[in-house]
Amino acid sequence: MLGEQVADAIDRIEDIDGYHARFLPLRFAAVATPLLIAASAALASWIAAAILLATLIPFALGMALAGTVASRAAARQLDVLARLSGLFIDRIRALPVILGFGAQDRVTRQLAEATQEVARRTVVVLRIAFLSGAIIEFFAALSVAMVAVYCGFNLLGLLPFPVPETLDLSRALFVLILAPEFYLPMRRLAAAYHDKQVGEAALERLAALTPAPVVATSPVHMLAAPPAIRFESVVIDYGERRVGPISMHIAAGCVTALSGTTGTGKSSLLHALLGLAPVVAGDILLDGRPLSPEALRGEVSWAGQATALVPGSLADNIRLARPHASDAEVEDVARRAGLTEVVQTRGAGLATLIDPRGSGLSGGERRRVGIARALLRDAPLWLLDEPTADLDEGSAMELARHIVEAGRGRTVLLVTHSAAIAALADHRVVLS
Amino acid sequence: MNRELAALLADVSQPQRRASGVALWCAAAAAMAGISLLGLAGWFITAAALAGAAGIAAIQAFNYLIPSAAIRLLAIVRTVTRYGERLYGHKAALFALAALRTRLFGCLINAPSPEYTRSAGEAGALLLQDVDALEDRFVRAPAYFAGMVGAATALGLAMPAGPRAFLALFVIMAAGVLAARSFARRVLPRRALDIQEQIARLKQDFVEYTAASPEIAAYGFGPSIEALLARQAARLDDARVGFARNEALLGAGVTALGGLAIATMIALSRASLPLTLLAALAAAGALEALGATIRSLGRDAVVAAGLERLAQLAAIPGPTAAPVPLIGESIALGDDPRSVMLAKGDRLAITGRSGAGKTSLLECLAGWRTTCGHSLLIDQRPLAECPPEARRRLFALSPQDGGMIAGTIADNLRLARPGLEDEALWHALGIACLADDVRVMPERLLTWIGDGGARLSGGQRKRLSLARALLAGLPWLLLDEPSEGLDPATEAVLCANLDSWLRETGTGLVLVTHRSAMLPLAHRLLELPD
Repeated sequence: MLGEQVADAIDRIEDIDGYHARFLPLRFAAVATPLLIAASAALASWIAAAILLATLIPFALGMALAGTVASRAAARQLDVLARLSGLFIDRIRALPVILGFGAQDRVTRQLAEATQEVARRTVVVLRIAFLSGAIIEFFAALSVAMVAVYCGFNLLGLLPFPVPETLDLSRALFVLILAPEFYLPMRRLAAAYHDKQVGEAALERLAALTPAPVVATSPVHMLAAPPAIRFESVVIDYGERRVGPISMHIAAGCVTALSGTTGTGKSSLLHALLGLAPVVAGDILLDGRPLSPEALRGEVSWAGQATALVPGSLADNIRLARPHASDAEVEDVARRAGLTEVVQTRGAGLATLIDPRGSGLSGGERRRVGIARALLRDAPLWLLDEPTADLDEGSAMELARHIVEAGRGRTVLLVTHSAAIAALADHRVVLS
Repeated sequence: MNRELAALLADVSQPQRRASGVALWCAAAAAMAGISLLGLAGWFITAAALAGAAGIAAIQAFNYLIPSAAIRLLAIVRTVTRYGERLYGHKAALFALAALRTRLFGCLINAPSPEYTRSAGEAGALLLQDVDALEDRFVRAPAYFAGMVGAATALGLAMPAGPRAFLALFVIMAAGVLAARSFARRVLPRRALDIQEQIARLKQDFVEYTAASPEIAAYGFGPSIEALLARQAARLDDARVGFARNEALLGAGVTALGGLAIATMIALSRASLPLTLLAALAAAGALEALGATIRSLGRDAVVAAGLERLAQLAAIPGPTAAPVPLIGESIALGDDPRSVMLAKGDRLAITGRSGAGKTSLLECLAGWRTTCGHSLLIDQRPLAECPPEARRRLFALSPQDGGMIAGTIADNLRLARPGLEDEALWHALGIACLADDVRVMPERLLTWIGDGGARLSGGQRKRLSLARALLAGLPWLLLDEPSEGLDPATEAVLCANLDSWLRETGTGLVLVTHRSAMLPLAHRLLELPD
């Protein structure tokens, strides 16, 4: 899922690089340059220019013919190639199974046969596909030859038909030197076919993506007081995984611990509250009213399995949760989240610079930054998704106590695997 | 590129030598024909002009048939050889890369630890992209040779223009190519690597922030993250522009050299006007051919930057000596004091909370991973002395997620062991309670089950995987939640079937389950602590 999104956001954009940087300019050049060349040649010899332009007619016919055949063949071939890469990816993914049964030799043989077969079929397709290239080559060479022969015979005065122009050497040479340039941009365009194919496939893929929803910046704060939340037969469907139906009630102003085995949809429910999970059936009610998917964004305290870090100081990172918080407030939550030790060991205290690319903070420390944010935001609703994972049992317990203490009077939904931490909550819900 | 990858590339190109050779000679002939065509046309026009000016006698003495026929012949030769170059160049590339893919797959198989295989599996798609990028390199290979042949042709045609012109052309071409190469080598690879690095960073940021998207949504700091990503994307664009600028500089230099070559030839030539033009136009043609190879130096730099991953893969050493086989007489598992000793044919059920490491214990026994958190002894030897390859010959695992390959029912079952007849497949499907399901499928054993068995239900995948493990015929059967997603009636039948199969074959069993219905299958129970 994530891999696909990354591929769409980055690789597909990279794919259209060649399309925009090479193919599109060449396509423009392929139309504009021949006309410019013919116009320039006409200054010296309009018949030579006419010869150049006249070769375009059979050229265009040939290209249309070869192009249709070739593109049909190429499209079929792209399918075959896509299926082959699919086969490879599948077998690489299934390597543990293949090795487990000692089937590697058989599978390798099978893959070798499949790739050889695809290569054989591709060559057959290329025989046709390159015809259009050959047609360009032929007319490129022919146009030079015809201009040369025409000019030579004109200069000799041996043309078998009368022409209204007499050339001299400089004009003849001028058109001759221009002649190869007439088809050059088309030859270059033909060579950029790969950029075109890859770019068009990427554009198609990007166009098919659902557009990002326009995030409405709601100035009205939804939550004035700790809300009660009710899930009514909520079903979340990710396509390959389905969660629910789940019904439960989260009382206002209480700490509710949510537990259950892996895969029962605890995290998904929290995501659904933020409009980040595809809810396909059922209702989520906030104080009895249906919750619109993005209403709670920017309105809650959150600590989850991943903490987003930005370049800047530790204090800047905590302050993301409430940009106008004072230094004293930031210091206070950092202490309560157990970041004091981190602060002490790195000389610069809360001003310690953080490199978001991993280095600097351990998994447990990142969690603590997330918790500090939740404490700083202190919203009426707290959503905490295993906030104390990555921590040893003792510190987890201590931190959980701090959280529960700080969350008194707010609606806190706390997902946890630990029975001891769940016992701290006012209510317990177990999903199965 | 490291030595291993270079050797691998040389190895897979070897059988394609004939096609590569044809492509090479076609490219050379095309360059020769193209340059001669232009030069001859220049000579023909000039000679004709001179003859035309000299009067009727000169015109009649001028043999125009041979040159004009030669011009047309060269036009055809150039067309045909270009077609040949493209076709045979691609043919050589396609077959060589087909072999390369298979060989790289072989490298993955030889990976020292199963964990490496696993992470490499995620890079599978990337791997294919890298190999695809190599195609470009193969296809462009003949262009270098063609450029050289073109240069030689032009030098040959420049001979009549006198030694000074000849020497000047030689110097221009040699100096041009050398300068372009050294410029390209010095500037382009660094920038191509920079592009790769910036892409990698952008990806890393993207992955990181996507994973944290709930938090970003919760606090509404999306815009600042977007600005961060935009800044990284701008850095990538800078890298790209830097590369493109240098690449364009290279192209402009080559074009300028063409003009310089023509001017020099005309200025220095001692020959008659027609021969001077022959030499000048041939020189221009040769620089065009050389220019194509110089322009592709940029593409080479990009391809080379992408070869790093393939080089890593190619560097995986082949299998060492065959492992000492295990007999599987006894297995001790679990940590003291709650460890269990199993003899051949024993049946054990393992229970425990999720996250206690039941699945990794099974995968470890089966040799799908090197180690796990629990202590294991096979034939009284610690795990470190039992290589995964040896363990794989003792244990047949039916994994939790099924572990299907994209293929038919039969393809998946035949992974278990070579030489399995249809009858054996049906028998195993029967024991796994799946035969009835398969019988009503449109193509029965040949039904396509989709990627990862997506067209089957979870329960069907489980049972298919179970049937496959039965077919492997190994001394121990390892089942991970075999009855997950089954209704109680089927579960009971499955339990009975397995019981009699285990008894008949004397196979040992290690079963991980949280369903009480399957527990009677085992004689002993091990509860894993948290």
